[in-house]
Amino acid sequence: MTALVYVLAVIVGLAAGAVGVGGMLGIGMTWRLPALLPLGGVSLVLDPLAGVFLALVGFAAVPASLYALGDTRRTPRGRVAYLLFVGAMAVVPLAANALTFLLAWELMSLASYVLVMHDRESREAIRAGWVYAVMTHAGVVCLVVGMLLLGTWTGSFEVGAWRAAALAPGARNLVWTLLALGFAVKAGVIPLHVWLPLAHPAAPSHVSALMSGVMIKLGVYGLIRISLDWLGDGPAWWGTAILLAGAVSAVVGVLSAIVDRDLKRVLAFSSIENMGIILIGLGAGVLYHAAGLPALAVLGLTAALYHAVNHAAFKTLLFLGAGAVVHATGTRDMDALGGLIKRMPWTTACFLTGAVAIAALPPLNGFVSEWLTFQALLQNLLIERPGVNLVFALGIAALALTGGLAVACFVRVFGISFLAVPRSDASARAHETEVPPRLAMTMLAVACLALGLGATAVAPALARVGSELIGVVGSLALGDALTLDVSGNFASLSVPVVAVALTLAGLGIVGGLAITGRGRVRRYETWSCGRMLQTPRMEYTATAFANPFKRVFHFFYRPVEQIDIAAHPASRLFVQRIEYANPTRSLFDDWLYRPLLDSVHRSVRVVRVLQSGSANLYLAYILLALLVMLVFA
Amino acid sequence: MLRQLRAALRAGVVTEPGVATESAPLEVVGARLREEIHRRFKRSLHIRQVDAGSCNGCELEISGLTGPHYDFERFGLHLVASPRHADCLLVTGPVTLNMAEPLRRTWEATPDPKFVIAVGDCGRDGGIFRGSYAVVGGVSSVVPVDAIIAGCPPSPAALLAGLLAAIGRRP
Ligand code: SF4
Repeated sequence: MTALVYVLAVIVGLAAGAVGVGGMLGIGMTWRLPALLPLGGVSLVLDPLAGVFLALVGFAAVPASLYALGDTRRTPRGRVAYLLFVGAMAVVPLAANALTFLLAWELMSLASYVLVMHDRESREAIRAGWVYAVMTHAGVVCLVVGMLLLGTWTGSFEVGAWRAAALAPGARNLVWTLLALGFAVKAGVIPLHVWLPLAHPAAPSHVSALMSGVMIKLGVYGLIRISLDWLGDGPAWWGTAILLAGAVSAVVGVLSAIVDRDLKRVLAFSSIENMGIILIGLGAGVLYHAAGLPALAVLGLTAALYHAVNHAAFKTLLFLGAGAVVHATGTRDMDALGGLIKRMPWTTACFLTGAVAIAALPPLNGFVSEWLTFQALLQNLLIERPGVNLVFALGIAALALTGGLAVACFVRVFGISFLAVPRSDASARAHETEVPPRLAMTMLAVACLALGLGATAVAPALARVGSELIGVVGSLALGDALTLDVSGNFASLSVPVVAVALTLAGLGIVGGLAITGRGRVRRYETWSCGRMLQTPRMEYTATAFANPFKRVFHFFYRPVEQIDIAAHPASRLFVQRIEYANPTRSLFDDWLYRPLLDSVHRSVRVVRVLQSGSANLYLAYILLALLVMLVFA
Repeated sequence: MLRQLRAALRAGVVTEPGVATESAPLEVVGARLREEIHRRFKRSLHIRQVDAGSCNGCELEISGLTGPHYDFERFGLHLVASPRHADCLLVTGPVTLNMAEPLRRTWEATPDPKFVIAVGDCGRDGGIFRGSYAVVGGVSSVVPVDAIIAGCPPSPAALLAGLLAAIGRRP
């Protein structure tokens, strides 16, 4: 039964992927079922942009479901929710009226909420589910209000009518702000991200893979729609807001990822970072669009879409890999892992591919899309407005800093979790996963490689989607079969050539060493200052790796040192136990959410006076209400 | 702060004038050392110092080599932090029982080709600790020794001369 559900999910995924690719290539479709629901019924339209995201949903759902299929004992709960989750995600990009969109969106949120709460015994999961529900519904409220306003002002709940209607600038800005807030919550934009690092680790891995790989992308989908499509041409500040939000998310996301010890939480924070990168590209596109440079707008949008596709590939892969690790060892704490390369070689190879891709190293896919984002940003001098140029400069700086830190982050994740000697028994006893999960991960690893090497096929396809959306006549020329050319000869990149060069260089080094070093290799144990006893406790840990970053970015992490020494009662010189902790504090919890929640609590306490528990008082309320109604009736 | 500055200004130069002439014995040994090192090791010799239970007298003299007077890095000698980087081990002390195994491991961890110099009377044969129940006695009883620099402790000049002899003797 369970297996059947996941097989069904694979089929749904494949179908959605196929339809999505069709839509991307220009096959338009419309389905309307007006009788099914009030306010215009169900209305689905397939256009190129919807096609991209539909394909994302489909192609990410296939490996995720395959992974779940691998061990059905692992996922006894939430089968129906999972199927609903995938289905709802597939409907969101197709929805062409407010009601369909909101229903699908809410269904997606609810299904994922149920999946986050799958482990109902764990306090952590309950807290995660709670925060997720509150945040996501705050977002839904913004979306509902925004769409209702839009519907009232334009007189229609159909997307097509929104496009045609000319709203007053004030109304447009209000609607944009509301909808953007709603989508930003889902996209995990800082500071609305708090649910993300809680919900992802709590959910089962194939679900976190989908949530991170696809669901949060639908927030980006919404942002693209409102900024470039539904609300017509927007003012420049929309782009500025998106770009700056992206820059902050990218830097804060990677900084949070680099110090966390929880394998899945690191990946969740890294998702925030990558959403930031996508939004930087999108923000640039919107700014160029507002400045009347459609070709560059398409470039920015292409970079954003490309990174969205890539992130779906490698983040799904990394979450599945992390899931395999968690399943094999029973822990998500990196300081308890290690040595997995010997025990889980297949998973390790796939995870490494994903890590290299997400660290944006050539010739994998992350490199191409970050490169495109850079090229889109670097041409900002064509807009002759110093303020806007400054925004772009901030985006470039943030992207550069993020790129460097992301490499460090994934060196840490991979090095600490997979290399060295196991740091715990659980890690020493780890074993390779079953065949279906391995197949799922391999598919995604191959996708990462293909999306990198095949850049000359992918980028123009996505650029076509962008031109269609923005309305540029003809599509952007992006070089020939081997080289990607940006904006004429502004910049060019040939991933296959880079790949060949890297391979040759690697072969050269290995070959050179093999020739010159033959017979001179002597194997001996790891040097440890001549120590007699070597235990895994002496290894470099994730915490130690993060410490330099904690120091350099002290103002951001605000770490607290806690040392707790328990001495023998007879003398304080006989120490029995030392506990040391160096946790970081979240700026957003302390400065944003804590005060907000405190003020809510305070005001609630004031209101609570009404509910005294005295029946007489309640009767008095009823009398009062009756009187008021009589007076006004 | 001001007081310190004033004190520093009033005191003037109190160090002895150096005797750095071309013909000073140190310079002569140094020049030959540099030549030998250049010829045999392509510019520099990396040394890892191992304290196998010495009284630290020998270490004091060795660290004197790195001071401004001897400054042996100018002759191409260099103390390194790990045997993995070293060409040569400079071992002091009578090799206490506890240090025998670490010394052996250090020797194993040093990449080939390598050579070992035992420093001080202790390193030669246990010195004043010879016969003690706590020492193995002499570096050569644990790892093969290529050269010995005797003295208790050997002076920096003797160390340089010993190094020159050790290097010069190598094929
Ligand atoms: S040789 Fe002399 S100075 Fe050197 S360690 Fe032995 S006792 Fe100390």
